[in-house]
Parts: sequence; C-alpha cells; structure tokens
Amino acid sequence: MASIVRPSLLRQSGVAPAAGRDLRKRAPQPYALSKLNSSSFRTQSIASRILPLRSDVLRGIPPSMLRVAGFHASGRRPILPAGPQIIDGTANDPAPIPQPSPTHGSYHWAFERLISAALVPLTVAPFAAGTLNPVTDAILCATILIHSHIGFQSVIIDYIPSKRLPKTRALFWWGLRAATLTVAVGLYEFETNDVGLTEAVKRIWIA
Amino acid sequence: MLAQRISQHSARRLLAKQPTLSRFTPSVAIAGSRLRPQVRHAAFQPSATEPHAQTQPAKPSDAYAILAAQRLNRPISPHLTVYQPQITWYASALNRVTGCVLSGGLYIFGAAYLVSPLLGWHLESAAMAEWFGSFGAVTKGVMKFGISWPFTFHCWNGLRHLLWDTGRELGNRQVQVTGWIAVALSVVSSTVLAFVGMGDGKSKGKGVGEESWKGEFKNWKG
Amino acid sequence: MAVLRTTTSRILASTRPSTLSPFLRRTYATVEPISNLGEAMSATQRPVSPKHTSTIHEPAQSPEARTKTFHIYRWSPDTPTEKPKMQSYTLDLNKTGPMVLDALIRIKNEVDPTLTFRRSCREGICGSCAMNIDGVNTLACLCRIPANTSHEARIYPLPHTYVVKDLVPDLTQFYKQYKSIKPYLQRDTKTEDGLENRQSPEDRKKLDGLYECILCACCSTSCPSYWWNSEEYLGPAVLLQSYRWLADSRDEHKAERKEMLDNSMSLYRCHTILNCSRTCPKGLNPGKAIAEIKKTMAFT
Repeated sequence: MASIVRPSLLRQSGVAPAAGRDLRKRAPQPYALSKLNSSSFRTQSIASRILPLRSDVLRGIPPSMLRVAGFHASGRRPILPAGPQIIDGTANDPAPIPQPSPTHGSYHWAFERLISAALVPLTVAPFAAGTLNPVTDAILCATILIHSHIGFQSVIIDYIPSKRLPKTRALFWWGLRAATLTVAVGLYEFETNDVGLTEAVKRIWIA
Repeated sequence: MLAQRISQHSARRLLAKQPTLSRFTPSVAIAGSRLRPQVRHAAFQPSATEPHAQTQPAKPSDAYAILAAQRLNRPISPHLTVYQPQITWYASALNRVTGCVLSGGLYIFGAAYLVSPLLGWHLESAAMAEWFGSFGAVTKGVMKFGISWPFTFHCWNGLRHLLWDTGRELGNRQVQVTGWIAVALSVVSSTVLAFVGMGDGKSKGKGVGEESWKGEFKNWKG
Repeated sequence: MAVLRTTTSRILASTRPSTLSPFLRRTYATVEPISNLGEAMSATQRPVSPKHTSTIHEPAQSPEARTKTFHIYRWSPDTPTEKPKMQSYTLDLNKTGPMVLDALIRIKNEVDPTLTFRRSCREGICGSCAMNIDGVNTLACLCRIPANTSHEARIYPLPHTYVVKDLVPDLTQFYKQYKSIKPYLQRDTKTEDGLENRQSPEDRKKLDGLYECILCACCSTSCPSYWWNSEEYLGPAVLLQSYRWLADSRDEHKAERKEMLDNSMSLYRCHTILNCSRTCPKGLNPGKAIAEIKKTMAFT
C-alpha cells in the first residue's frame, strides 16, 4: 500500500514547490504591465526602451537576483510581508477616513474592558472558594469564551489586513465564529455533563 | 594657428554680447562657453566624451506617475529584528502569545470534548485526572508550570492593562516598573501553583485554596 | 601652445560621436519600474550583514585615535534590485562632534559623499534626522555617540518604513494621516467681542505636552501596531495631535473629531504597547494621550 502511495506523494511534493516558485516569479507580470499601460507618463520611446528590459527580467533570464528571489520565496517566506508601496492619491490628499461604526469602535472597546474587568473577580473566586457553584462556573466559562473570541478577533484584524487579503480575512473571520460556536456547545456539554471547569482543573491539578 | 585662435576669441566675445546668436554659431565656437559643465561632467565619467547626458522627455504632470513607479521598488526598513528588546513591547507580545496559547488550548479542548463521544476519546475530568496523575512528580511540576505561567502572566499583565485604560501609571518609569513586577509576580505565583498538590497529600482534600497553596510553598521552602 | 592644443582637443572632442552605449552614458537617476523584484528581495528581510560588506576607514588615522565603528543601512534607488546592506565606517571620535548627527555629517563630508540622510536644525526642533540608532528610534542630533569605542553603533532608517534612499524614509502616508485629522482650530461661532479666541490659563495648561510634538515619526514607527497596519491605523503621533485638538477648549468640532476615530482601525488598533512614549525624543507621552481619547470616547 505504502509503495503505491509513496511515489505519488513524492511526485506531488516535488511539483508543489516548483509550481509555487513559478507562480511567484510570474506574479509581478500582470500587475507591472498593467501599471505600465495605465501610466501615460512615458513617451513611446521610453516605454519601448524599458519594455524589452522588463520582459527580459520577467521571462526569467536568470540574473542572480531572480534566482535569489525564487529561493527566498520558496525557502523562507517573510512574516507579514508588507508588499510594494502604493499610496492612494497625491501627498496633499488626506488619508481616507473610515465609516464611523461605534459597534466596532468605542462600544466594542468598552465592552471588551467590561469583560476583562469582570474576569478579575471571577478568576480570584475559585482560588478563594476552592471551586465555584455551577452558575458562577458557567458565567466564568462564558466570560472566558467571549474574552477569547474578542482576543482572537483583534489578532485577525491586526495580522490579516482586509484591504490586502480580503479572502483570507473572511475565511479566518468566519472560521473563528464557527470555532467559537463549536467550543461554546462543547463547553456547555462539559458544564452540564461533567463537574464544571474550576472543579475539573482542580482535580487534574492535584492528581 | 594664430588665425584660428583669433577667430575663436572673436566668436566668444560676440557670443557674450549677443547670447541669441548662439543658436546660429557653429558648435565649435559654442563649446567654449560650455567648457565648465563639460569638465565637471568629465570628472565623474572620465571616458565619456559626450557633453550631454542622455535626457528623457517628461512633463511636470508626469511627476506623480514617476514617483508611483519609484515607490514600487522601495524596500521596507528592518523592524522586529533590529528594534531594541524593551519590556514595553516584549510584555505586550507575551501578553498576546500567552492569551492565544490559553484560549487556543481552551478551544481545542472544547471542540475535542464535543466530538469525543463520536471518536471514543475519554476527556471526562476523572479520566484526565487519572491520566495526569500517572506522571512522575517532576514531570507534573514542569507541566503545571508550563500551563500556569501563561495564565498568571496574562492575569497580572491584564491587570496592568486595565490600570492603563483608566489613564493611570502611563509614565515611562511606571510602565517599566509595573512590567517587571508583573513578570516577577507571574513567575512566583506560577511556581507556587506548580507545587500545589505535590506535598504530603494533605492539600489534596482541601483543593486549590489560597491558604493551602501558600502553605504548600512554605513547606517546600522549609 | 600646449594650452591651445588641449583646448582645441577638448572642443573637438565634444563634436566626436560617443563610443559608449546609451545605457552606460545615462547619468541621471532614472526610474525604471523594474519591479516588485526589488521589493520581493528586500522587503522584510534583513539587510546584508556588515560581515559581508567592506569597511570604509577614516582618512589618515592618528596613533591616539579613539576609533569607533558605525554600521549604517544602505540602499540606493539607482540599483533597485540590489539588496539593502550594512556599510561599516570607522571614525576617530577625537575629530568628531559629540552627537550621532555629527558623525553622519562627518562621514558624508570626509569619507563617503553618497551617504544620504535628512538633517536640518541639528538641535531637535525640526524632526528631520529621526532614525533608528542602536535599536531605538530617536533624533540623531539629540543622540550622543556612546563613548565606548568597543561598542559598534548600528544605524537604520525608521523601522518598517519604505526607504527612499539609505536613511531617508518615505513619510507620505504619515503626513496624509496627519492631514486627515484636520489639525487646525475649527469653530462655527465668533467670540462675543469679535476678537481672538481666548482661553483660561487652566485650559491652556491642558495642551502642555501635546503641542510640543514636532512630528518626527519616531513614536509611530516604533509601534508594532503601526508597523502592521499603517494604512488604516493612525499611529501614536497623529493620535497625539488628534487629542491636542480634542483637548483644546476653543475647538467646537469635538463630536465630529471623535466620530472620525470611532471605528475599529483608526484608534483602536492601539494595544497600549507603549513603545511610543518610551522612544519619544521630546519626552512627550503619546500613550497617555491615546488612553485619554479612549476614555473620553467610551464614557461620553
């Protein structure tokens, strides 16, 4: 069985990085060309002087830099790459102001602090009282869950910019919601069928 | 020779008087008036014999497009790798990492607990306590510290953040002092927590009460 | 006669056609949009380490020299496909002024005229020479050269900025963001006597620590949140200025100003990391200003 699987696996693993490298090499082309076409700033003569150079580079005449780029692309991808610098409008236009939405702004911030502050007594309580009664334990679970959800949300907002990676952003956003819902159901099951979070932690801790 | 010199000289004088003539005078004569830029040019490019650099026609309105094209080539200056390690951003990063580790653990546990009946896993508290109890004392202590340190650090540092959100303790000195206090408190409290339940078995019945784990710490030290 | 001959040859030379190819003859720093390649190669990667680049030495070293090494970030737009590198320079501190800016100027004057950086007032009021010195953002003119010669100084441009050349970052986005908060007094009504807008000494005092900001961008570019989200997050410096107008008793558009910040990106990407206050070369506290904005937005 393994002998059947392995060659195909090998082939796949051999192809995958190569394809990835190809993609990365070619990726700049449509972008750069469209940039060149859209920019009317160069007279014909200059465009024709640069175009051959461009296509040389893109066709992958392997100057050492290209090989380096390919190597880096497949070997070590930078964390949170910034992408080329693109600035909308001229230097004299103000940066655009987003649509106001207090539910994602001030209300959200206040709610987040409220949840965090509520966690302080809820965290101290089990240390003071041994374990919590089922109701308080359920409240603790729910608060931790909301706190976690908000925390993960801000991680996603910080590291997956919706402007540059709208699809990845949507994927993670809905993935997080699904995960939180699943975990909520799971914790509900745990709270109702088992001994409760604080008691369970205590039992494991002193086992 | 002399005749050549004289004609050149007169051409230059003529040029000085009537600059408009330059358009019509032969290039040999004008070259004299261009001597200075030519020399400067040669200083940078000794082998270049052509006086003019090659120019590209561009209108002032093209400036923005040229700039936009230039911007595409710019690298990003180094950031995380060169910035000095400081308690400010290290503590903040740790706060996020510990939070993600704890919440991630909770999420994994919650989801696993939901599907455990389907897959036949035993994630009930009794089963897990039994599993955890099967380890040696040292392993248990290390594992407990590994879990409790992220928890205590996130708690103490969270208090620091709540304090800041009220607008207090935001001076440079206070930020550093409270940062190191949070680190110290987290290490101490998680060490204490790691020793809970490792004593002579007395604390087993009492649970994770504050008195008991304080007592536990004293036992261990004495 | 010899003079005459050289002149003639020079004049004649100018009429001779050039033997060089047009590409080599080009002397202007022209723009060639070759790419995202430069970007793909150099962005978010460390520059070539000083171990792999040459060291440019001080001209004519004296025996009692206190020689200190400076590693300086170099990148030139003329060769956009070349990776940024760290160039090393050695300077005799006895011949150099006390501040890092003095060292940079001396390098440019006496060692390497191609080194590029911004500078103007040399006394910490213009904010031009903001850069990352030994890992901390500060003004080169206010930063003393550590006397310890065994310690090698490292100078980078402001972190996570797009580099125009060497130590010169592009701050266009920063200025555009500053413009977006409308940094000027907004009033709809006139004062009773139609004269200037007066303010009590107490109200004026609220602006201390806010109006001194010189917009050098040290704080904004020290903020990890701003590194990742500089397109939408305003950053500490601009938020400090935003608070400067929110705290001004004479301004009448406070509600509008707050509304501009009331979304998930502009203000609330601040996670109180507080690198900003730590690094401010003018000793201001943007972190505190942002905390005050959050407070006023939450409880009014």
